[in-house]
Amino acid sequence: MELKQQTLSSLRAMLDSKQISATELCKEYTDRIKQKDGELQSFITLCEDEALANAKKADELIAKGEAKPLTGIPFAVKDNICTDGIRTTCASKMLESFIPPYDACVTEKLKGENYVLLGKVSMDEFAMGGSTQTGAFARTKNPFDLNRVPGGSSGGSAAAVSAAFAPAAIGSDTGGSIRQPASFCGVTGLKPTYGRVSRYGLVAFASSLDQIGPIANNAADCGVVLNAICGKDSRDATSVNMPAEDFTAKLGNDIKGMKIALPDEFFSDSTDEEVKNAVLSAAKEYEKLGAELVKCSMSSLKYAVSAYYLIASAEAASNLSRFDGIKYGLRGEGRTFEEMIRDSRTRGFGNEVKRRILLGNYALSSGYYDAYYRKALALKQQIIREYSQIFGTADVILTPTAPTVAYKIGEQETDPVKMYLADICTVTVNIASLPAISTPCGYNKDGMPIGMSLIGKKWDEATLIQTADAFEKDFDRRYSNV
Amino acid sequence: MDTKTIAHLCDLSKLNYTDEGIEKVMGEMEEIIKLMDRVKEIDVTYDDTADNNSISYDMLRKDEAKPSFPAEKLLSNTEPAENCYVVPKMVE
Amino acid sequence: MKLYPTIGLEIHAELTTNSKVFCTCSAQFGGEPNSRCCPVCSGLPGTLPVLNAKAVEYIIKAGYIMNCDISRFTKWDRKNYFYPDLPKAYQISQMPRPVCLGGHVNVEVDGETRTMRINRIHLEEDAGKLVHDDSMRVSLADYNRCGIPLIEIVTEPDFHSAAEVVAFFEKIRLMLQYAGVCDGRLEQGSMRCDVNISLAEKNFDTLGTRTEVKNLNSLRSIQRAIEYEIYRQTELIENGERVVQETLHFNDATGETSSLRSKEDAHDYRYFPDPDIPPIIFTEEELAAIKADIPEMPEMRVKRYTEQYGISAADAKILTDTKSISDFFESAVKAYNAPKAIGTFIVVELMRRINLGEISAEDMTLDPADFAHLIELAETGKISKDSRKIILRDMIDGKTAERSAEDNNLWIKEDNELLEKTIDEIMAANPKAVEQYRNGETKVFGFLMGQCGKALKGAAAPASIKTMLEQKLKQ
Repeated sequence: MELKQQTLSSLRAMLDSKQISATELCKEYTDRIKQKDGELQSFITLCEDEALANAKKADELIAKGEAKPLTGIPFAVKDNICTDGIRTTCASKMLESFIPPYDACVTEKLKGENYVLLGKVSMDEFAMGGSTQTGAFARTKNPFDLNRVPGGSSGGSAAAVSAAFAPAAIGSDTGGSIRQPASFCGVTGLKPTYGRVSRYGLVAFASSLDQIGPIANNAADCGVVLNAICGKDSRDATSVNMPAEDFTAKLGNDIKGMKIALPDEFFSDSTDEEVKNAVLSAAKEYEKLGAELVKCSMSSLKYAVSAYYLIASAEAASNLSRFDGIKYGLRGEGRTFEEMIRDSRTRGFGNEVKRRILLGNYALSSGYYDAYYRKALALKQQIIREYSQIFGTADVILTPTAPTVAYKIGEQETDPVKMYLADICTVTVNIASLPAISTPCGYNKDGMPIGMSLIGKKWDEATLIQTADAFEKDFDRRYSNV
Repeated sequence: MDTKTIAHLCDLSKLNYTDEGIEKVMGEMEEIIKLMDRVKEIDVTYDDTADNNSISYDMLRKDEAKPSFPAEKLLSNTEPAENCYVVPKMVE
Repeated sequence: MKLYPTIGLEIHAELTTNSKVFCTCSAQFGGEPNSRCCPVCSGLPGTLPVLNAKAVEYIIKAGYIMNCDISRFTKWDRKNYFYPDLPKAYQISQMPRPVCLGGHVNVEVDGETRTMRINRIHLEEDAGKLVHDDSMRVSLADYNRCGIPLIEIVTEPDFHSAAEVVAFFEKIRLMLQYAGVCDGRLEQGSMRCDVNISLAEKNFDTLGTRTEVKNLNSLRSIQRAIEYEIYRQTELIENGERVVQETLHFNDATGETSSLRSKEDAHDYRYFPDPDIPPIIFTEEELAAIKADIPEMPEMRVKRYTEQYGISAADAKILTDTKSISDFFESAVKAYNAPKAIGTFIVVELMRRINLGEISAEDMTLDPADFAHLIELAETGKISKDSRKIILRDMIDGKTAERSAEDNNLWIKEDNELLEKTIDEIMAANPKAVEQYRNGETKVFGFLMGQCGKALKGAAAPASIKTMLEQKLKQ
């Protein structure tokens, strides 16, 4: 079976019509992973036995006619989402042997549909990075070009979907960590509105920005997954109780008259020419479909990366303080508590994580708090105001997902400032708690995928899925060579 | 970013660096903070009452105690003693 | 040079909620190590705090009884420091937007009423406990106490003596107990006090350098720590030495303070808003409903006991000074409406038994209805008043009042023949007194009553003797 062409709806149809059993499907994927992931390095932990057991259970449910939308569907889950009894490493030496005794809300919900967890996929250590090269294990390659990065931090999730190791994957997005790797790997990734999906069980990076979301082959599939994982959770006070809705309900609706805004600042000189052109021609496609393009401006964008890194690092410094070697994780040596935790943390964390902890503590420490952290919060409010102004006249915003296509491994991921600036197109969405979807809109001269992002109003994922889908229909999608 | 500041940050962060490592990270932090300094260029003030993420009192969790987690499961990622977490002796 | 102490307090009080402040584990005291824990309060990765409504209700009540302003907008912050009793390495607390601001409480010291100002009250989570194992040269961390809701009451530096502090602490403890928000069990660490002390010449513009004595958990240690610190600082200043600003530990065994190793060398707690806990906005209706739900405070009870029940001010104070006693009294009065008799017997006899350690005031095992029945038996002449003490002793051991009266043969038997015969004999033996009474000198009645009572030795109720004696004298 050609796994690359499959979507969640095609797989659902095959499973329900018994063309293929969930067990067979599971084997197809695990065989493919075992065969090809040695090169790609997208998985940290493969759960073959558990996956087959779950697939068998799924087959029983399908036989009884009790299948739910994701019953028997294989998934890859980012390794910062807790899975009961299955190692969850955050791609860090710190958690190399950590086995959570509980499930994240998201994996609990997916289990409720009897999905098939193939394994835990790679990422940047503690989700801090955009290359999936900062982790302690499984430095994932880009399926379109093994010499290039898959993006990050959900690089394992995006690469796994791109390489057809799984038809869908779960990632997390703090400043672009779903959208940018989706863009680099030529697949579709959705960052839901903050509060749409429970963060319970997601190992926190920056709590006010983190959100879990799907990576899949198209926008419709992202909607199907979001349907299953969304909802208010009593264990996450920041999750929001919204009326139930089907995120695929608007699929196929005409986008005639829809107002699509293109903020100038996202198309500046720092964005690669080929990327710019691909996104602008996508805009033209929308115009052809009857949408109206609106010019707009986001003047605070030039401060956004700094504000983002101050907020994210401050929260991260605090969130990662709990890793002290006492309760779980790498336990260092030392005669005193101080010596022991310093040793644990020094050995457990990689360089990028350490830098962000230092930065976060710098931004919060006395004497610097007002100038940095508090100022960043003020900028957050400013960015929210600018977005709401744009949404006063537009339904969605169209931007590039990243200023460039996937770059060569070793090219820039060791230069923190360069790496941070590369997040310019994605961070404001997290700062403003908005939903956004990235989907392929072109390929550069080297054949590397280019992604565009559609940013929506709060809670308006359905429109994003509809709009992305409208473009995907006529887009000549390419698949990786893996 | 001077040696005193970085040492203070390492204390707050509970991290050690070798002499070589500290030189390198100081240079990186210097550059990173230069980037962060951009926020100083814009005149905006923060109003914590305007974040619009507040909830009402009736949305808080009702006070119901539920059974706790089995201690051996909680302690399954460490080597406990007498069902407690073990730490180097703290001076009283 | 007369040095004058200035003292400010930070009082921590654990709230008596069912569940912990940020998770659903039981908030009860004690338990096997780590048996009242879950991934949330043990700080496992990926877990999130969810605020308990009751804890918020309780701090608002605490704020109202201390005359505070309740903020309509309140939020939570993280206080970051590493210590093995703090699994997340930050304590969720409140910095710029505490629930309660301002406020005051009046206390009486040496007959003088003083107003002590409250700066703020905020809600936070308690930390775990460390046990030091000398044989293994390690410390063991138990997180059962992690996440028990705690309010921190911060006062202004309005205190100038240990006596004032102790009186204030006791008053706060009693008020929190009456409000039903804290059990005030000092032996279980339910309330702890940090004391800031500085010395200066009276009316001096600037205060002296202050020291902070941490974690005092009994009235006696508060008193002794303050007195020692005043003595120590006075000695230093008089010898021309400097007081060092530091955090101190009070050693109960030696009665002295000593420098405490700091939790975080730099004391840079890097407070920032906790992104996991949304701020709360209260409506006027919600606050009014919480305020209306506050039970009667001890001062109001004293007023009611003296004004409505005619109980003496001294007895009313004794009755209300222990909440469980006052509650016991209230229940007993509900069962038998004789507040004065019940109150007096509690003050005189039950309190004596409590002070003897025969029964605990806090874990009162007596049934207030049966206690009321005991008083009723005496008031209606079924037993003599003296018998109450014997019966109470049995009740402490678990008997009912009636069972004890029966077993000890304390029922007054109404033998009218014996009564009539005795009265006749007394009248015959005292013709002069009878004559005087009949001539209108009624004050001799008491003498005749006494003679009858003595002769009857409890075989008849005083009321019965009185009725029949009056009858016969008027014939």
